Amino acid sequence: MTMKIIVGCKLVPEEQDIVVQADGSLDVSRATPKISPFDLNAIEAAVEVKGLVGEAHITALSVGDKTLENSKARKDILSRGPDAMTAVMDDAYTHLLPEQTAEVMATAAREIGFDLILCGDGSGDLLAQQVGTRLGALLDVATLSGVSKIVSANNGKLVVERALESEVEVLEVTLPAVISVSADINTPAIPGMKAILAAGKKPVGTMTPSALGVAQGAASVELLETKAPKQKERLNVMIEGDGEDQIAELVSHLRKILN
Amino acid sequence: MSKIANVWVFSDVESRQAEVLAGARELGDTVSAFVIGTDGDVAKAYAQGADKVYLLGARETSRIVEDYADTMAKAISEAADSALILLPGTRCCKALASLLGVKLKAGVVTEAYDVTVEDGGVTGKRMVYGGLAHGQEKVASPFAVMVVSGGVFAPESEDAARTGETINVEFVAPKAAIKCLERQPKQATQVDLGKAKRIVSIGRGIAKKEDIAMAEALGAAIDAELGCSRPIAESEKWLEQERYVGISGVMPKPELYLALGISGQIQHMVAANSAQVIVAVNKDKNAPIFQYADYGIVGDLYKIVPALTAAFGEK
Ligand SMILES: Cc1cc2nc3c(=O)[nH]c(=O)nc-3n(C[C@H](O)[C@H](O)[C@H](O)COP(=O)(O)OP(=O)(O)OC[C@H]3O[C@@H](n4cnc5c(N)ncnc54)[C@H](O)[C@@H]3O)c2cc1C
Ligand SMILES: Nc1ncnc2c1ncn2[C@@H]1O[C@H](COP(=O)(O)O)[C@@H](O)[C@H]1O
Repeated sequence: MTMKIIVGCKLVPEEQDIVVQADGSLDVSRATPKISPFDLNAIEAAVEVKGLVGEAHITALSVGDKTLENSKARKDILSRGPDAMTAVMDDAYTHLLPEQTAEVMATAAREIGFDLILCGDGSGDLLAQQVGTRLGALLDVATLSGVSKIVSANNGKLVVERALESEVEVLEVTLPAVISVSADINTPAIPGMKAILAAGKKPVGTMTPSALGVAQGAASVELLETKAPKQKERLNVMIEGDGEDQIAELVSHLRKILN
Repeated sequence: MSKIANVWVFSDVESRQAEVLAGARELGDTVSAFVIGTDGDVAKAYAQGADKVYLLGARETSRIVEDYADTMAKAISEAADSALILLPGTRCCKALASLLGVKLKAGVVTEAYDVTVEDGGVTGKRMVYGGLAHGQEKVASPFAVMVVSGGVFAPESEDAARTGETINVEFVAPKAAIKCLERQPKQATQVDLGKAKRIVSIGRGIAKKEDIAMAEALGAAIDAELGCSRPIAESEKWLEQERYVGISGVMPKPELYLALGISGQIQHMVAANSAQVIVAVNKDKNAPIFQYADYGIVGDLYKIVPALTAAFGEK
């Protein structure tokens, strides 16, 4: 039987394109959307599980605003292994809180069907580390976070490892389950030319909140403010080059600091 | 600052229980602690500030900490209609926070570096966008869960004479149990970058594991501890996790931070930026780290590092 895998895949703004404005607020409007870094590990883990069980179908699931229409980002997701993608889009989804995202994903996951959902441990922008675990609780299935190794997958069971502060646990999880992976679980492969070409032909489905029947409930957390802190003033003394003289200059600065 | 009537705490890691108990006493009137363990652990919780202990019993080896989420949610919701639950940012407590968030319909703030109570509401501050900005989040639901970073609350001195009411709680088995097959102890490290006055920190500019010796030699010459960027610890696993600096690693406050072959991404710099002086060595003159540096040198670290070690004398 084909195993149904869903991977939570968030698009986040590239940090380096974010502009901090004079009042400390952020302008993300010109930032290129990229796959949330840990979700690259989640996608790779899905590919790994597919390899272990033989027959599996991977759907990348993304919740967000119009950013999800970005065809380059879609192709990037699909070139990394998923067989299909589902985007749940709404203009109101620009600043969803983790609890709301988890609600939307839970509804979508029921619609798509799943044996296993893989998420990253934390998203690149919020790093709330909530969505995966909340999703598991909402779907009332087994859920684990911080998974650093997939040991085996068969007979509807996964054996995984996760590192806690002072020990490593080897755990048996009965599917269906939601598993959040830590960034050290694997090194995401860089998609080859063939995969990139094939990505354009893979199916992308879109869902709207109304079609899914998810009403946005009142949030239990209110975001009061997001602001960049004042940067510390630095001397910004630059030495260009690594010749003897330049190194000597650095040494003299260091001597002052060290004394 | 007003106070919350009921605050609950739990820590699966012994070393972090005292700080959440201290925080709970600061923010609340009655402090209840969940304890998994024995009478000795109960006494410890009282000594560290608990008024009541909800004893979950000894842990069965096949159970994981999150298996207690239903048990905790039941005890909390039966005790009162509202409460603050304060947890340290350990792996299991973060997961518990989300589970309690769903089970108690509670707003959750993770990695809070500041928690305040005003007009009966709880507000937490946390970093977003890799540390580029700070967000302020106010919990609007009756139950609030705050997961705090290390060092937010200072532990109080223990008072062995303190005691209180102990309530035995019956285990509520989760529907989908996860079975722990084996536990392997991790090597404990002695590294504490938080205490270091000087840090020599390496990034991907170091090409091979063997080359770390070069940075170590410089560290020895200037009496500095060795730190690194995340990939060196997490992807390459060349150094211990306790050595990587950044938003998801350690946040040291040294006098000198000497960065070798580190590009200066925000997730790293948000922590490194606490240093009094930052010196950067990078061969790319456009590397973002130079914007944060007091002194920067554009060049090959393989040339510069041995020269610095020679200048300051190998020890
Ligand atoms: C949610 C999230 C959390 C994260 N948390 C952290 C964190 O806590 N800490 C952290 O560090 N990172 C963290 N990261 C990763 C971070 O974004 C960067 O990827 C990482 O810090 C880059 O490490 P680096 O500077 O060593 O490597 P690179 O970015 O690859 O930089 C290597 C640098 O070395 C220079 N170099 C190469 N060779 C030489 C040479 N011979 N001489 C001199 N210079 C040379 C290059 O010019 C380059 O600038 C996080 C990422 C995410 C998404
Ligand atoms: N909008 C989203 N769309 C798809 N997956 C998401 C979304 N937000 C979060 N996730 C998943 O949940 C993980 C944890 O996110 P967070 O709780 O925001 O730190 C991410 O690594 C993703 O796998």
